[in-house]
Amino acid sequence: MKTKLLSILLLTLACASGAALCSAPRASWTLLPVLAVLFLCLTMRLPRTVRFTAGLGLLLIAIPFAGFTNTFLFELGIQIGIFSALALGLNVVVGMAGLLDLGYAAFFAIGAYTWAIFGSTQASYFMNGNFPLAGWPYFYLFAALAVLTAAITGILIGLPALRLRGDYLAVVTLGLGEVVRVLANNLDHPVNITNGPQGISPVERPPIPWLMDLLHIFNPDASPALGYALFFYLLVIAIIGLVVLINVRLDHSRFGRAWVAIREDEIAARAMGISLTRTKLFAFATGAAFSGAMGAVFAAKQRFISPESFTLLQSITILGMVILGGMGSIRGAILGAALVTLLNIEVLKSCSDFLNTLRQTGFVLDLGFFQYNFALLPSQLEPAKYERMIFGLILVLMMIFRPQGLIPEVRHRLELEKDD
Amino acid sequence: MLEIAAISLNFGGLAALEDVSLKVAEGQIFSVIGPNGAGKSTLFNVLTGIYPPATGAIHFLGRKISKLPPQRIARRGIGRTFQNIRLFGSMTVFENVLVGRHTHIRYTYADALLHTPRYFCAERSARDKVLDLLNFVGLEARAEELARNLSYGDQRRLEIARAMAIQPRLLLLDEPAAGMNPRETDALKALIRALRDERRITILLIEHHMQVVMAVSDRIAVLDHGRLIAEGAPAAIRENPAVIEAYLGPGAKESLA
Amino acid sequence: MSGDVLIQILPSVLLEGLLLGFVYAMIALGYTMVYGVLGLINFAHSEVFMIGAVTGAEVYRHLLPHVGNPYLLLAISITTAAAVSGGTAMAIERLAYRPLRRRGNTNRLVPLITAIGISFFLQDLVRLIEGMWHNEFFVNYPSTPALERTFQITEMLSIQMKAIIVITVSLAMLVGLQLLVTRTRLGKAMRAVAQDAHTASLMGINPDQIISRTFLIGGALGGVAGVLFGVLYTKVDPFVGFLPGIRAFTAAVLGGIGSIPGAMLGGILLGQLETSAGVYLPLLTDGNIGTEYKDIFGFLILVLFLLFRPQGILGRKEGEKL
Repeated sequence: MKTKLLSILLLTLACASGAALCSAPRASWTLLPVLAVLFLCLTMRLPRTVRFTAGLGLLLIAIPFAGFTNTFLFELGIQIGIFSALALGLNVVVGMAGLLDLGYAAFFAIGAYTWAIFGSTQASYFMNGNFPLAGWPYFYLFAALAVLTAAITGILIGLPALRLRGDYLAVVTLGLGEVVRVLANNLDHPVNITNGPQGISPVERPPIPWLMDLLHIFNPDASPALGYALFFYLLVIAIIGLVVLINVRLDHSRFGRAWVAIREDEIAARAMGISLTRTKLFAFATGAAFSGAMGAVFAAKQRFISPESFTLLQSITILGMVILGGMGSIRGAILGAALVTLLNIEVLKSCSDFLNTLRQTGFVLDLGFFQYNFALLPSQLEPAKYERMIFGLILVLMMIFRPQGLIPEVRHRLELEKDD
Repeated sequence: MLEIAAISLNFGGLAALEDVSLKVAEGQIFSVIGPNGAGKSTLFNVLTGIYPPATGAIHFLGRKISKLPPQRIARRGIGRTFQNIRLFGSMTVFENVLVGRHTHIRYTYADALLHTPRYFCAERSARDKVLDLLNFVGLEARAEELARNLSYGDQRRLEIARAMAIQPRLLLLDEPAAGMNPRETDALKALIRALRDERRITILLIEHHMQVVMAVSDRIAVLDHGRLIAEGAPAAIRENPAVIEAYLGPGAKESLA
Repeated sequence: MSGDVLIQILPSVLLEGLLLGFVYAMIALGYTMVYGVLGLINFAHSEVFMIGAVTGAEVYRHLLPHVGNPYLLLAISITTAAAVSGGTAMAIERLAYRPLRRRGNTNRLVPLITAIGISFFLQDLVRLIEGMWHNEFFVNYPSTPALERTFQITEMLSIQMKAIIVITVSLAMLVGLQLLVTRTRLGKAMRAVAQDAHTASLMGINPDQIISRTFLIGGALGGVAGVLFGVLYTKVDPFVGFLPGIRAFTAAVLGGIGSIPGAMLGGILLGQLETSAGVYLPLLTDGNIGTEYKDIFGFLILVLFLLFRPQGILGRKEGEKL
């Protein structure tokens, strides 16, 4: 009875918040309720169908509809989506298998460069052919290739690295992330493969005539920019759906159980006949594959990539998402990605803007005993520039006060026939 | 079934095992006893491949296992429990045993992703097997609990169930009675006998609890300072003066009874 | 490039490598000592080094107009940096690692992730402080003629006063530490805790206190290394710790992590390798493989050592405890 009431409440809230968002897509207050309902969809203990209906309804109906007027919503959705997929991938490695990978952005880079090199004129520097490869199947082909390349790189690196003890693995993957960045920076000579620090631009996007036709039915003036925003938004949601499905299925298989087993106790796991190296390689390659896929999407979406996007900071940001959400928790990874991304591109930026406004207007804070003229505020003080401090703090505080994360991993099952 | 031939192992110059030879026949309940630090657990760790022996060889079912890594030895059919319980703490009781089925669940990565009939078939049979084992050790009502939340005695029994899940021919039990109350200890004795009589598993047992050892063992080997000082039937061991001397100190005969 | 030139520049390359090597050795000691007592890779140690470098620079340039003697000035900078870095290291242990130890968390990733978090936090904290203070976050060690004075030894080899100072100070520190560890009660207690903290506590040693002092000493050495690094390379900023940090960790592994002479040896070896690779790689490959690849080179050494000789050059093989 209680469940039924709550379900109805959640669905009502979803409808209300969605309607509010569509009625005033540009007002910043209308986004908050939608985010709150999405948060509830992730965390509440309600039947899966209810949570899916409410969540997907908002994601696939309300946000696209409002996005036609306010494309920032798509941008936000795409960013959160890309990072969710990355966090889900890293969650397999760090959360489930307990392998601390500090160079995860390397696989993201490999995926991104796989498409960027061939989806731009870059490839013509070192091979013959008609570049960029712009026809419709190419992007999808190369996205698949990016998955393979990243997974194979993961295996090649994992073969030696995964024989190391846990803490050494962390240092080696950290170094590995740097190696990939150094290579991306320097492989512009003697043969120009990556175009060095300048990066590669413009990167082709897959053609979307079908989506534009569809859009023109509703809005004859829809621009290609809007079309692509919607396209990448939908693509990212589809990929996340796939990634979550893969995650859940692996979690319910002997592979997922072996990951958790080696995380809990390597010696006991081996006594069960589990091969450590093989199991870890599977985890490493699976995580790398997700990252590679998202790399290709990232390259196409940004149309520009450079080594700057694949730093240690990036790897730590993704790690922060996994930790914040809860190691080993699928919903946690998504929540962590959403929170950190929102913090990054919304909250911190707003704080910076706010401080800048105060600074420029020369606002004077007067508390009677204390006065401060904001015009004197040093221009270095911009919260948006201090992600390292904030992620560092998130990591430390979570580890000390809530190491299991916001949504702790749930071990359940037996579920012989039943399905909740 | 298990032949240990003259194995030795040193830890930084200290002889942990010295020239130990044993033969365990199929269907036996074979106990290894000895004072603390006598090398009993080290013997188990050598048998299961955690430490390779410095010298000597171990044959199991006629094949040499002394150079194999732990997971290969497990797959050959040697299951074990640990003196300091090593369960997968944040997994459920059910899952702990399910992990033990790992090598018997045969489907590929693709089967797991695509949920092919092979996946469902293998998972279902694994689940049936796990439920059977939980019934066998009496933990069926605890299946959904996290392993780390179990009582000490239940954790010991869960370790046995988990080790059984790999379908071992030989099961090494490292102090299964430690931390158990008298009632649990009695149940354990019955369980060990049932393992052999109903499940046809040969048992190698390390135990300090003499009452358990004397009640269930067919043969007993005594280790002291890494050396084998006696081997024989329980009655003979009970009377063996060297054992009484080395194991319990002079004049402590009655506590063996 | 003719072979003659390659050989002629060798002495100055070796000298350069030795200087860098001493700096690495001092940072490596911090990693190795903490690893010895806690079994933890203290990722935040690179930031302890950075804080030393920045503190030293601030003291140096603020006192420059007031203190005439450049050697005295340097001595003040080094002492302050050692104190601040040592204090920071102790504070990190107290505020972050000790609560984790108390809770006895079994997840071995927890302290590592904490260490990384602290490292990132400190980088930006220093950047914030420097930014608020000067409105820019890099600091220069002002050049003083006395330190820049050059002694020509041969036609191709010259040595600057600051290099002599770096060598002297590092040697004094390294010898001092070796004496401290082998000859004093504190040193004995540290080795006892490294062996077995529980048994040590039964012998009346307070492990927490020893761990705290280990952080203090390791941190102070890192701070001194920071000042020397700054004196050698002039410019420091809040991100200056990262690469020397990885290098010094590699050095600690190279020498055998947990071993103090090993860290010294590894540091000097790695300094030599890095400098030589940086100079000779581009020369030998006609610039096709640039100096930047020396980073990859250092990383390869780390991986190879971890794989084939994880106990390092001087370390002993340790048995896995069950």
